Amino acid sequence: MYSFNYVKPGSLKEVNDFLASNPEARPLAGGMTLIPTLKARLAQPSHLVDISALEELKGIEVRNGALVIGAGTTHAEVARSTHVRDAIPALAELAFHIGDPAVRNCGTIGGSVANNDPAADYPAGVLALGATVVTNRREIAADDFFQGMFTTALEPGELVVRISFPKPRRAAYEKFAHPASGYAMTGVFVAQTNGGIRVAVTGAGPGVFRWSEAEAALAKAFNVAAVASLTMPAADLNEDIHGSREYRANLVRVLTKRAVARLAGR
Amino acid sequence: MGDHLFEVDGVHVSRLEDLRLITGAGTYAADWNLPGQLHAHFVRSDRAHAKIVSIDTTAALKYPGVAGIYTGEDAVRAGYVRGVTFLNFKGKNDMEGRIPERPAMAHGRVRFVGEPVALVVADSALAAQDASELIRIDYRDLPVVIDPEAAVRPGTAQLHESVPENTPFEYEAGDKAATEAAFAKAAHVTKLKMESTRVVPNPLEPRACLIAHDPKNESYTVHVCIQGMNMMKRQLSAYTKVPEDKLNVIARDVGGGFGQRSTAYPEYCAVMIAAKATGRPVKWVSSRTEGFLSDTHGRGNIIEGELALDKDGRFLAMRLNWLADMGAYLSPAGPVSHIRNPTTCLTGVYKIPALYGYWRLAVTNTAPIAAYRGAGRPDIAYAIERLVSNAAAELGIDAAELRSRNFIQPEDFPYKTPTGTTYDNADLPGVLAKALELADWKGYTQRLSATEKTGKLRGIGISTVIENTGAGMYPKDEVELEVGKDGVVTLYTVAKSQGQGHETTFAMMAAKVLEIPAERIKVVQNFNDRALIGNHTGGSRSMVGAGTVCHIAAEKLVQHGKSLAAEALGIEPSQVSYGAGEFRGPESGMKITLAELAQKREVKIKGEGTFGTTYPNGCHIAEVEIDPETGVTDIARYMTVDDCGVVVNHAIVEGQMHGAVAQGAGQVFGEHAIYDKESGQLMTATFSDYFMPRAGMLPDIVMAEHATASRINPLGIKGMGESGCTASLGALVNAVIDAVRPLGIHHLDMPLTPAKLWTEISAKRGTARA
Repeated sequence: MYSFNYVKPGSLKEVNDFLASNPEARPLAGGMTLIPTLKARLAQPSHLVDISALEELKGIEVRNGALVIGAGTTHAEVARSTHVRDAIPALAELAFHIGDPAVRNCGTIGGSVANNDPAADYPAGVLALGATVVTNRREIAADDFFQGMFTTALEPGELVVRISFPKPRRAAYEKFAHPASGYAMTGVFVAQTNGGIRVAVTGAGPGVFRWSEAEAALAKAFNVAAVASLTMPAADLNEDIHGSREYRANLVRVLTKRAVARLAGR
Repeated sequence: MGDHLFEVDGVHVSRLEDLRLITGAGTYAADWNLPGQLHAHFVRSDRAHAKIVSIDTTAALKYPGVAGIYTGEDAVRAGYVRGVTFLNFKGKNDMEGRIPERPAMAHGRVRFVGEPVALVVADSALAAQDASELIRIDYRDLPVVIDPEAAVRPGTAQLHESVPENTPFEYEAGDKAATEAAFAKAAHVTKLKMESTRVVPNPLEPRACLIAHDPKNESYTVHVCIQGMNMMKRQLSAYTKVPEDKLNVIARDVGGGFGQRSTAYPEYCAVMIAAKATGRPVKWVSSRTEGFLSDTHGRGNIIEGELALDKDGRFLAMRLNWLADMGAYLSPAGPVSHIRNPTTCLTGVYKIPALYGYWRLAVTNTAPIAAYRGAGRPDIAYAIERLVSNAAAELGIDAAELRSRNFIQPEDFPYKTPTGTTYDNADLPGVLAKALELADWKGYTQRLSATEKTGKLRGIGISTVIENTGAGMYPKDEVELEVGKDGVVTLYTVAKSQGQGHETTFAMMAAKVLEIPAERIKVVQNFNDRALIGNHTGGSRSMVGAGTVCHIAAEKLVQHGKSLAAEALGIEPSQVSYGAGEFRGPESGMKITLAELAQKREVKIKGEGTFGTTYPNGCHIAEVEIDPETGVTDIARYMTVDDCGVVVNHAIVEGQMHGAVAQGAGQVFGEHAIYDKESGQLMTATFSDYFMPRAGMLPDIVMAEHATASRINPLGIKGMGESGCTASLGALVNAVIDAVRPLGIHHLDMPLTPAKLWTEISAKRGTARA
């Protein structure tokens, strides 16, 4: 870790001002990605701006039929929230399966979504549920927000403030944890929303994506057979020492099938 | 001799060290600090094989806080160019081992990614690391050799001038001609090429040292993680030529060893150079990734095996062709453990009339390989047990029945094997019968059909193994007992627990004889003020050796105490009796306690013993279920029946077994140190990429004991710290192969990851459909 300066502003406005005048500063929430990056000396920010205690980023509430989660809410808080469990139980389940207790007690939804790790769990939930990412400047639809590996629509100095999830009719998340890291080697979030069936895949590709063929097939018939006959093209998926792209393509299909089975069985 | 010899009223003695360890009160290598200490950071090679053209430290030396920078030139100047390698026997055709030099920091050439090249010491660890980035090293790349089979092929680039064909040693054991003759008349031969994968031991505690030099008497104080002080002193002394009595090695708690902590690493010697040069204590704490790169690795053996059987399924002969990857340099224990341990148990638990094994060591541009829990024993057992199960499947004989048909029988013990080993004692049919019952072997077909209804695959695997434990490199094990004025007995030993629980078990051994609570025995495993001869903790030896001497020493203390008590009481020693911490005379009231005696005069004695090798054995049976859709294996059932002789503490034995089975399962299902074949970079240098076994992988292990007393150890004890690894590799892989054999798969190498199993299963099923 290189040395850095540490600041802890008292309000979101102060954070905005500080980041605007210090382009090399980085906001620090749970630090579950940033701290390991610093320890490996892969980043050298001028300042760490601690936003972990900002009240403006906290809280979980149901507002106008949508579940609204503050960006600074930890995975553990989401996992045990009765609001989340009532409104979108699949999201609580997703949060419960992130990392280990230490990670869940530190890591935040805003950090996960802003980082857009291609193997993170939350992007699948945000995308499949058609959520809206609210920043300190604007509102961004999930379909526009995620732009590939570690890339989002966020501009310099733009912070995720909260995420608003419209309540789906039903939803399920199936995750195949990476044997070593515990990240999603593949994760599939299937949601029946008012806007139709949405299937979002994380881990398998260079970034979270929607599997449109599965969405179309499930729109016609929401059952396991509709997915079982599909083939996920492997060409654009990830391949590494832990598994081939064909293996990941298989996992996408199998996990989608299992998510649908859980929903169809309900 | 009762099973519960060392358990008071049938109650487990809980581990005396646990409160300290689980409340964070342990003192590990990185917990030590000395006034005025400097902090060290190593610059490590970022390439696998290269000539060092130049090292420019000018800018780094000017960095604020830097006290010194040292390189391979300093190591060569100090004469720290060769560690000890225990290869003191001759090889094939009287070959002498070719042991290449390894300066404490690379000199002229780097040979693996992570090899230390320079050492920066500074006022803070941060400054040392900052400054290290200013060091400019100019390399000229050389061809990279990763694959050990390619390494020994003629024409491959050579790592060391002194090691032609990258082959430091060749060795053979057994009778080649008799083996060939037996193969010629065999009714059936089964063949397998098996890899016991290279793994990273990964103790929880990272490597660290804090070293101070005392110019007054040219001595060093070395705080470091160890498996025993004598072994560390001996190796450090061999590397640096500093006499052992000038090395004060200090360790309190050690967070895991597995063989990886017995080595005197070059980094320690480099820190000694810096401590002497700066005149200040120097502290180094390894990062986890440095550990992955530069701590010794384990296993790394490619074994081609053949088993010859007659028409009745009796074993006629076995031959092995064994290639052992040693990494870039020969570690102290790597060569001997990967040759001698397999040779010792080359016949396994079977009567095999003719045996032949050929070993070849290879050097490659990878981290050196050393002993890792079992150190060659799991590898030989794995090879034999895979061959036996494969033969059983090919011949359509029940895998347990084929084993039973070939067992060494109880009346054969002590049994002299064809490679000259004498197994002390075992009841293999008894072990097997108990295991088959425990596992409900006969009921397996019902469980198989139940699994098949779910669309999953099920397999059952068995392994029956034996291994050498005890012995050691020192001629005897000594233990000293000293009675304090408060009656507390201090027990000095040079064995060192890295998790084995000596503070409990050694105390129990002495407490049983002295008839005082184990809590009244204080076990001290590290001291520099008294020279005791004895082995480090490794090779499953400490209860067989030093632990047993605790018993002997306590008996000697009672005898010695009787004569002292007689003098104090004014009677003849023969009139003194001892019980529960008190010496008593013939008349009532005529008594003196241990404490009172110690208040009058010094009460201390030294006990010793030499016991040779004991042979624990056992049978493990595993059942697995494989989800063909994802390739995920679930260990559905796991049963063990072990004979480790007389058990001192059942809870600790069970814990050792759990841990070792988990490590075996880790190797079987995921652990794998993977180097990129072109660049030589370690692809699995963090826990994000390197799989570790997790508790959830294992079901509740069903365990039973089937003890036969060792005939070597006077208390009937056999070692057992590694046997769980030795038995589990074969049992688990046999179970997985049993599950996929109906698809036409007769062997897969570890690790049996979900991706690998899915790929193999779906390929076979695809072929079947076409």
